[in-house]
Amino acid sequence: MSTRRGLRLGFDRFSGLYLWALFIVVFGIWTPDLFLTTGTLHSVASQQAVGAIVALAVLMPMAAGAYDLSVGATVNLATILVTVLQTEQGWGMWPAIGVTVAASLAVGVVNGFIVTRLKVNSFIATLGSASIILAVQSIVSGQSQPLPPASRAWTQLTQREVAGFQIIVLYLLVIAVLAWWALNHTPAGRYVHAVGGNVEAARLSGVRTRLWTFLMLVTSSTLCGVGGVLYASLSGPSLTFGGALLLPAFAAVFLGSTQLTPGRFNVWGTLIAMYALATGIKGLQLVTGVQWLADIFNGTAVITAVAFAVWRQGRVVTRGRDATRTVTTSEEPPPDPPDPDPALPEKSPEAAASVQ
Amino acid sequence: MTAGLPRPPAGDAEATTHRLEVRGLTKTFVATPALQAFDLTIAPGEVHALLGENGSGKSTFIKILSGYHTPDPGGEVFVGGSPLPFGAPDSSYDLGCRFVHQDLGLVESLSVADNLSLTTGFPTRWGTVRGRELRRRVAAALEIVGLDIDPHQPVSALSPAMKTGVAVARALREDDGRAAGLLVLDEPTATLPVEEVRHLLEIVRTISARGIGVVYVTHHLDEVFELADRVSVLRDGQKVVTTSVRDIDHTTLVHHLIGRGLDEAHAASTALPVGEDVVLAVADLAAGPLRDIDLRVRAGEVVGIAGLTGSGRDTLLPAIFGAVARSRGTVRVGAGARPVAGPRDSIAAGLVYLPADRKLHGGVMSLTARENLTLPRLGDFWRAPLLRRRAESSQARDWFARLDVRPADAAERPLFSLSGGNQQKVLVAKWLRCSPTALLLDEPTQGVDIGAKAEIHRQLLAAVAAGAGAVVSSADIDEVVALSHRVLVLRAGRVVAELVGDEISVATITRESLGSGAATQARAA
Repeated sequence: MSTRRGLRLGFDRFSGLYLWALFIVVFGIWTPDLFLTTGTLHSVASQQAVGAIVALAVLMPMAAGAYDLSVGATVNLATILVTVLQTEQGWGMWPAIGVTVAASLAVGVVNGFIVTRLKVNSFIATLGSASIILAVQSIVSGQSQPLPPASRAWTQLTQREVAGFQIIVLYLLVIAVLAWWALNHTPAGRYVHAVGGNVEAARLSGVRTRLWTFLMLVTSSTLCGVGGVLYASLSGPSLTFGGALLLPAFAAVFLGSTQLTPGRFNVWGTLIAMYALATGIKGLQLVTGVQWLADIFNGTAVITAVAFAVWRQGRVVTRGRDATRTVTTSEEPPPDPPDPDPALPEKSPEAAASVQ
Repeated sequence: MTAGLPRPPAGDAEATTHRLEVRGLTKTFVATPALQAFDLTIAPGEVHALLGENGSGKSTFIKILSGYHTPDPGGEVFVGGSPLPFGAPDSSYDLGCRFVHQDLGLVESLSVADNLSLTTGFPTRWGTVRGRELRRRVAAALEIVGLDIDPHQPVSALSPAMKTGVAVARALREDDGRAAGLLVLDEPTATLPVEEVRHLLEIVRTISARGIGVVYVTHHLDEVFELADRVSVLRDGQKVVTTSVRDIDHTTLVHHLIGRGLDEAHAASTALPVGEDVVLAVADLAAGPLRDIDLRVRAGEVVGIAGLTGSGRDTLLPAIFGAVARSRGTVRVGAGARPVAGPRDSIAAGLVYLPADRKLHGGVMSLTARENLTLPRLGDFWRAPLLRRRAESSQARDWFARLDVRPADAAERPLFSLSGGNQQKVLVAKWLRCSPTALLLDEPTQGVDIGAKAEIHRQLLAAVAAGAGAVVSSADIDEVVALSHRVLVLRAGRVVAELVGDEISVATITRESLGSGAATQARAA
């Protein structure tokens, strides 16, 4: 994405960074002893890493215009599966991880089949598959929380320290760089954005629209598998944590689409949004000590993000007109107001958001 | 006659009260004048055509009139003799200005009567709609525009011209004694099928006969000569001319519009030699309403497709390209012996398709112009592990300069922020970049200003001169006549006439489309 396009939009495309900085300053002044510590930095970084991986999992199909609401269930299933295979089946760590990631990939294949072949709306399809995955999880776990594997290699998988951070933060960065490369620097990424923007125009341009939607749903579930394995190693198995990751992930993806390259779902905007929100929540929890803040924060964030995106879309259109006028010279007549009205027919992030 | 409507002026004293009088109106956007010292008068009952390319200042003027923009100090506007306060939509309405935009703003699923009542409110007693009073008001409103339709049918059941008529009726209907004195029609025929235009012009005549002044904005010059009393042309924010329509001809008007003579494309097209090689062969095609379509296009040839709405014309090119399912038939491209099916296959074989609706099917509006340009054959820029952005940008700049896409930095703007004409140029460039063997162009210049239209025609003919074949399907018969070596006329899903050379004229094509032409008669005999 070009930076030139964004610069015209003023600094609102960096508002996430400013918000993040604001949180740090406010809580830094409010409660410096608790908040301004490397401990807080390291714990926020690693606690949010799995959430951020799930957000990237949501981002990939979203860029192609498809919702994946099954991410929470898939992450949770992966956590239980990788634990049960080790502690109850006595498998080694690597075979257990391999099978878990493969099982998550299979979830994506099923999702992709339902969406691209049976042509079920992705919102409905993944809402349904999430429920089925939850049932599978109950079967695998027998409704009781499995014991965490005892091996040191297992906990070291995510908790080994690198420059003070737990290594899971490094995994997140590697995944993010790969996702950014795929979405922004390969033809595949361009095709995915084209499918997300206007699936029919993409098809008539020779883009394999079903293939890309399918692959993005598979990528999403596979990433969830990886995220689930890492969560099990970092925090131990839990039967219920997955559902709580869904809303923050969507909040980060939508808020992220207003950042850096506004109007486009993007990797770094998503991560900035994720960590800005997490910092705010962490600060408030340190100050007040209550737990329900996170739910309020994430709920508010997802609504605000989408409202902001819709408002910005309207502004881009009107400002676009004036901007055109400023650049034109006298022999170049200023173009008429741009053709479309703010309500674009394509699935821009704003339009996608308003589907709900 | 409805009480709220003004009658035509009775004497000289009243005739001097113009429906609209504009003096020295200027509007500047960030140091760039969009409208300069604009003067205009409109008499009661006058139809005044307002012409200008995109960006000439027409929209700015209309928006000042409607109270959306506030002009620079110094200008004056009088509506029906009273000064118009600027930036106040309500006073514009109170003084009698009414606007009908290209987007009619009708609720398709509601009835005509409901649509007519939505803005002014339903007549009620104790909260219940008074049926008889509603019927009386609706009948009165429809009478103003001369529409004889059942007010209980849903708007979606109406023809496009009738919908426009309903929108006009709604704009003009009586509303607490605030009478309409001036009607602004902003490109009412831009998306109307050609056979519907006549009906709309009839509606406009009915209105002007009632003494209402009409500002008629259009890109279609024929309508000016058929309908308008006077015409004004705007170019780059300045009024070039205001004249009685009787005192001006087509060529002069075009010259005023674009500031230079428009090359007549037709001469250029027929001068091009048609080659021998068949670049596109369609055999025994059936799809949707289409039956038994056979079509062979040779290198260097432009084949025009004409036909009224419902003739199957809008299905033909998508079916050839493979965008919609075919029930029979084969399509072969170039020397390739293998038939092609589906968009990917067609594009790979060198057959490209410009859809009629650029927002729904043509462009990905949220991507930048550059990304739209390079979407087919993006692989050219892939050198693992990265897309070569610099090569891509420089190619985009070259193409956009060649087609004069504006503004100059259009490449990095999202497509939706460009004007319609420039969007279309981007999409034409997208396919020309693929150096196609055969081009399928559906309504290539719909909703595009005359300068962009000429540029698109020039590019098309350049591609054809270089050895491509083209099929152009258009509701604009002038365009079909201007571009084509050969014209196929469709009716009821079949090719009813094939016209070549001197047979190609607007009159012949219209006759054949309606089923009263020589070829059709011969077939019947």
